[in-house]
Amino acid sequence: MTDFTRRHALGLMAAAGAGLAAPALASNRKITIGALRFTSHAASFVALERGYFKDAGLDVELKFFQAAQPMAVAIASGDVDYAVTAVSGGLVSLADKGAVKVIGGALSEEAGIDGQKILVSDAAFQSGITSPAMLDGKSFGMSTAGSSFHYMGSKIAAKEGITLRFKPLQKVGAIIGALKSGQIDAWSIVPHIAKPLAGSGAVHIIGNVSDYIPDYQVTTTFTSAKNAKDERDMTAAFLAGFAKGGADFNAALVDKTSGESDAMIDLIHKYVYADKPREAAAKSIANGAMRVNEGAALNVASIQDQLEWFKSENLVPDVALETLIDTSYVKTI
Amino acid sequence: MSDPEKNDPPINRQITPQSAANTPSSPAMTPVRFRGGGFAPAPVRGVGILVFVLLIGGAEWGTRAGFITALTLPRPSDVFATLVELYRSGLLAEHMIPSLTRLIVGSLMGISIGVSVGVLIGLSSWFRAGLVPLVAALFPIPKIALLPLFVIWFGIDEGSKYALIAFGTFTPTVVATYGAVDNVDRTWVRMAQSFDHRWWSIVRGVILPAALPGILSGLRISLAIGIILLVAAEMLGAEYGIGAYILEAGSLYDLERLFAGVVILSALGVTVSFAIGLIERRVLRWRS
Repeated sequence: MTDFTRRHALGLMAAAGAGLAAPALASNRKITIGALRFTSHAASFVALERGYFKDAGLDVELKFFQAAQPMAVAIASGDVDYAVTAVSGGLVSLADKGAVKVIGGALSEEAGIDGQKILVSDAAFQSGITSPAMLDGKSFGMSTAGSSFHYMGSKIAAKEGITLRFKPLQKVGAIIGALKSGQIDAWSIVPHIAKPLAGSGAVHIIGNVSDYIPDYQVTTTFTSAKNAKDERDMTAAFLAGFAKGGADFNAALVDKTSGESDAMIDLIHKYVYADKPREAAAKSIANGAMRVNEGAALNVASIQDQLEWFKSENLVPDVALETLIDTSYVKTI
Repeated sequence: MSDPEKNDPPINRQITPQSAANTPSSPAMTPVRFRGGGFAPAPVRGVGILVFVLLIGGAEWGTRAGFITALTLPRPSDVFATLVELYRSGLLAEHMIPSLTRLIVGSLMGISIGVSVGVLIGLSSWFRAGLVPLVAALFPIPKIALLPLFVIWFGIDEGSKYALIAFGTFTPTVVATYGAVDNVDRTWVRMAQSFDHRWWSIVRGVILPAALPGILSGLRISLAIGIILLVAAEMLGAEYGIGAYILEAGSLYDLERLFAGVVILSALGVTVSFAIGLIERRVLRWRS
């Protein structure tokens, strides 16, 4: 971990420059950002590496988690200040208890851009299941009840008029194992996991989530209710840095307009698939590029739909939308 | 320390065995107070319940007064209401039946194989030499770590759950059983041998009954581990079951349901312990 690359040097120079150029802002507040080692968290990595948080006057430390749920609890306990995650039953429950608030949007499904995929096991595919409509009575993997997988599966089932049996398997790794070995029939997941899996032949892609949930707000940025209410400057600074990181990410890998996709992949590779060689990781990273909302804008209609679904399934108590989200920071869609 | 011989003349206070023996008529021979009472625990009624009442009452008061937030601890009365609701809706049975089936089938498999292997180890030098290291190697494996493997071996449905609980209860049972067999009084065995009893008759008539108290107290530990593993077993692919219910409540951060599930597991533990107590009293009547 001692190699000092050109990029590190550039980063240091940028950081030094930023420190000199922007003395007026919230002077180096120390904050902790929670992240998972997924491409979908890249906006935070970019903002940190390119000094966008520093520009906004924040001294950011990243804290890595294995799953979204402990991250939400860490926000509630005050160990982490900001994080990105899908809206889940647990998050809504924590919001209901006055612990967390959703303050902006992150990943979105968008027509024309590869989004989350619906997968089936090889055994199910060989038995003739080639479209989501044929999944009636089949088992569908999810981490836990009230997770985004549960939401997606239910939405697919509702639209196709079929019933799915949901199998809670706790962890993404366990779901992948169960799908590969044919213990469960179907699953849906972000493309950077779906495509390499399908490439291995053990599973098959049979549809897109965006066909069932258009404009799905997949992940959101959130923080403690206390930060959202009392630390407005700090929260606005975080969102500004995050949005800038997201914009770079979109330009490099989603719209491919900035022509720096290699540099972007190198940057993300430091955090994601760091144990894999660059070539193998590059494919997975580029595959996972879904759009990060411009300006961290929040799709309120999609959040509303997700919240209504959680309530209709009795997964969460009767929570008002305003309890879950704080729309005073970003544009809403 | 209080001095029991306070009233004696100071010159006689240091009594050596020699001086006591040599001067039988000395005033030091006053009767010695009985000191070997030991720490005899006496049953104190109601204190156990009082501790529970104080803890739960404190939590109730704290959550109502507001200095324990809803994020920290659920209100005990809400947990109770959740339990009542669970029972009314019929969901309690729906969660209990699969869990109890898994616990009973899994621990029956683990315990019956464990007792057999433990007795074999206790009786045969060959089995001891071959299996004790293996059991010692298997015991510390976190059984949860093997769950994904069990899913592949035994399927995602009931098979892997039975296997996990069986495996988890097997190793402590083996260790408790061969320990109990080892501790059987050798003079009893020698006596039976002197009376020219056959091998099988000694095993059945002397060793097994004498090892039973040790085996049964081992069962308490094995079954408690079985209950712990119930939650682990229901991590993968279980829609119903107390463990699945607790895990779901945890991921939804629904503390009332989480604690309701924990209360059910605790009650299950108390019931199992009570049942073993009954069995002990019945099969160990020969001791009194």
